[in-house]
Amino acid sequence: MIRHKLMRAVAFLLVLLGTSAFALPPATQSNKLPSDSIYQLNLHLVDQGGKAFELRSLRGEPVFIAMFYASCKYTCPLIIEEIKRTVQALDEADRNRVRVLLVSFDPARDTPAALTAVSVEHHVNLAHWTLARTDPTGVRKLAAILGVQYRAMTNGDFNHSTMITLLDQEGRIAAKSDKTSALDSELIAAVGRTLAGQNP
Amino acid sequence: MPWLRLLGNLWLVLAIGAGHAVAADYKQIAGGHFASVLPADEKAADMQVAPYELRVTPVSNAEFLAFVTKSTEWQRDRIARVFADAQYLSHWITSDGIDRAQRDQPVTHVSWFAAQAFCESEGARLPTWLEWEFAAAADTARKDARADPAWREQILSWYSRPSNSALAAVGGPANVYGIRDLHGLVWEWVDDFNALLVSTDSRDQNDPDRLKFCGAGAMSLRDLNNYAVLMRIAMLSSLKAADTTANVGFRCTKIGAGEKS
Amino acid sequence: MKPAMRLFSSLAAMSFAFTLAGCGGGISGAQAMTSAEGSQHGDFGPPQGEPIHAVLTSPPHVPPPTHRKAPAKVIVDLEVIEKEMPISEGVTYTFWTFGGTVPGSFIRIRQGDTVEFHLKNNPNNKMPHNIDLHGVTGPGGGAASSFTAPGHESQFTFKALNQGIYVYHCATAPVGMHVANGMYGLILIEPPEGLPAVDHEYYVMQGDFYTTGKYREKGAQPFDMEKAIDEKPTYVLFNGAEGALTGDKALSAKTNETVRLFVGNGGPNLVSSFHVIGEIFDRVQQEGGTHPQENVQTTLIPAGGAAIVQFHTEVPGSYVLVDHSIFRAFNKGALAILKVDGAENKAIYSGKEVDSVYLGDRAGPNLAAVSHATSAAASGKLTKEDQVKAGAQLFSGTCSVCHQANGAGLAGVFPPLAKSDLIAADPKRPIQILLRGLNGKVTVNGKDYNSVMPPMSQLNDDEVANIVTYVLNSWDNPGGQVTAEEVAKVRAAPAPAPAAGH
Repeated sequence: MIRHKLMRAVAFLLVLLGTSAFALPPATQSNKLPSDSIYQLNLHLVDQGGKAFELRSLRGEPVFIAMFYASCKYTCPLIIEEIKRTVQALDEADRNRVRVLLVSFDPARDTPAALTAVSVEHHVNLAHWTLARTDPTGVRKLAAILGVQYRAMTNGDFNHSTMITLLDQEGRIAAKSDKTSALDSELIAAVGRTLAGQNP
Repeated sequence: MPWLRLLGNLWLVLAIGAGHAVAADYKQIAGGHFASVLPADEKAADMQVAPYELRVTPVSNAEFLAFVTKSTEWQRDRIARVFADAQYLSHWITSDGIDRAQRDQPVTHVSWFAAQAFCESEGARLPTWLEWEFAAAADTARKDARADPAWREQILSWYSRPSNSALAAVGGPANVYGIRDLHGLVWEWVDDFNALLVSTDSRDQNDPDRLKFCGAGAMSLRDLNNYAVLMRIAMLSSLKAADTTANVGFRCTKIGAGEKS
Repeated sequence: MKPAMRLFSSLAAMSFAFTLAGCGGGISGAQAMTSAEGSQHGDFGPPQGEPIHAVLTSPPHVPPPTHRKAPAKVIVDLEVIEKEMPISEGVTYTFWTFGGTVPGSFIRIRQGDTVEFHLKNNPNNKMPHNIDLHGVTGPGGGAASSFTAPGHESQFTFKALNQGIYVYHCATAPVGMHVANGMYGLILIEPPEGLPAVDHEYYVMQGDFYTTGKYREKGAQPFDMEKAIDEKPTYVLFNGAEGALTGDKALSAKTNETVRLFVGNGGPNLVSSFHVIGEIFDRVQQEGGTHPQENVQTTLIPAGGAAIVQFHTEVPGSYVLVDHSIFRAFNKGALAILKVDGAENKAIYSGKEVDSVYLGDRAGPNLAAVSHATSAAASGKLTKEDQVKAGAQLFSGTCSVCHQANGAGLAGVFPPLAKSDLIAADPKRPIQILLRGLNGKVTVNGKDYNSVMPPMSQLNDDEVANIVTYVLNSWDNPGGQVTAEEVAKVRAAPAPAPAAGH
């Protein structure tokens, strides 16, 4: 309807006139991200070496992403070992084509030094693994977008759900697993499909 | 004549925009000692709620329209699917237009991400569950009415009414803190909706499945008689961050106050 | 039981024996079963053929038998709808329903089927919901995998390892409230050989309901949490409403038919003592289990449980289904009707044959005159002689204790009746005295008496008339006759002011 089109034009004018300063920076317009990619989220992280980076900088290769915290005694070590085992179970050619990102629930205490300590303890390959932290709002948003539940306890521990998520090259969720006691064959198969460029 | 009507609509859009320029009403809540239904740790200790400012009413369709008019990436035909599902703002006439009748109704069909973005645009955030629960424990006369069966019954009777009638406008009676519409209008998002950690099968509350929930088991709920609160927790637990439904809206808390989640 | 039924039930028993033996390992004709543990013997392998969409029915109807011989993939689509419906005449309640009814849709599959379950939550609903099917082996019975927000759909898959009749219900917090609002139904997992054919299968489910208003208080009634926690229901109903299965909605059958009822109990709180007035259950699968019991009058159905009852109809009439905790049937609505039409069968049940007078402890031989007088009075042929004879017998049982058999009374205590000047002065006065008693001073035959004679309220009009007639015609009293009608008139008249003794 003409009236509708004119209304849109007027709205557009208003936007030009009254744009406020805080609007979220637009997603990269060149080679547009898919609508269901978690890289749509603007997330600023700092890795175990103290280097700042954006979540979407991982775009281009499949990523195992999980959330943890350094002083976690129960499942977090199991999550890390599970990811290691899963990567090891891949074909040798594929092992180097997969990245791992672990993000902490506990930015207050998980300094780059603490994160480095974890990486050393688990003998992870920092060429492919990144341990990182972001601000508390970012933690909440990342957990929300991955579907991870967590809650801070008064003693500093975190109550959280167990989840390992596989992102494809464009940041879409390709598979999820909550197994930590045995290899998840479905997850391994999903890696294969992602690397072959097939949608799961 | 069409151009006259266009002018009328233009005025409406301008008026909405102008309306938003007035700061939304927030009220200071002093906080204090509080027995939450979701205890902070296994010992079910009472919590201390720090002072905070809470929006008096839920965000209305008109206010949300003003927001998406400025931040167009949050309009329903432009939003990334990862931030809101296909029902996002489906009750609006167009992606940037609402009905006159909808102006003062609480905005619904909004996802957690959209709600957060709105609050950030006001220099605020979504309230934590604790901040929401603290304010919602009050009625018109008492700070904590939760033990009163009549209070519970009144809230339950809203839950048992079917939701096929139109939503009322925001601005119902104020409780003792001056906050309105915490009950009886819409469910509301909270910042830590994914911290409620209730198992999707609500009967295995004390299931010691350590591998499922790190940190000794899923959350135990205190006060199982308070169905009114239990149902709210169940509702929030059923949602994912991108979900939108016809009965979930939200309000905001000013940043810099409130219990850290 | 009729011979045909007996043969039939032995055949049924034999087929069950075969199924059981199959668990031990390898019977020809049985499906691939090894000596697996527990439910595993119900795993008949992967589904075969094209996926089937399950036929769901609304109560009281049951889907037809599956007639399948091999495990299949069955797709079940069930929608949760919150809606306001009548619970009693002029009373409405907001029910939360599976498929729009209370109880929810009936699901019928076969043991070994793989079910792909789709649970939809209508976008107009206010609450999240899920489903726990008692026939599912798996965490929460499916509840963990089906937690669904309004406007969303969840899917999960399970294999039906155990045969039987199972309850399903919503298990979202607070579970009690979801169940109390009507979120339950039945799923039948047929044995591999199917159930024996019957003439009618019906679906009945009991539930208790809690409203803030009283029983039958009009208007829209909300749920009352306190009453539910205290287990004090307002309504106990079959199929979600008073009158759901009565009047023109009654279940129906003809004489000489076999009826099978799948009876569930959604609770949330009460156990049912299920009984059909006028029928005996030929066969009951108590708690839905595999081995039937026979000749059962009333069977217990636990909350969250079900039973299969079967009976053969012989005689026409209205058979009332009740919870035999009887105040629930008559004061809370736990009542349903099965109307059976057809020819009478007097050999089985005759109806009322005789309605005769029963005199209780006065029916002995020494009161023959009284019986005679009663029947004579009934047929209008009562004579004075009959009355005097009957009155004499009644007098000796009632009056002679104080006034003596010869009417002499007791000096200074009880006045005489023999040749009494009080009676002579007013022959109708004894009627008053018998009906109302006599207090205070009287003078009879020159002597004073000051006692209390209580009213003879255990005597009816005939008896008073007969006694007074006897007294009037004995011991030189004036004679005469008193009729029951006269007595009735005196009884009906207002009592006179207490007379001063004269």
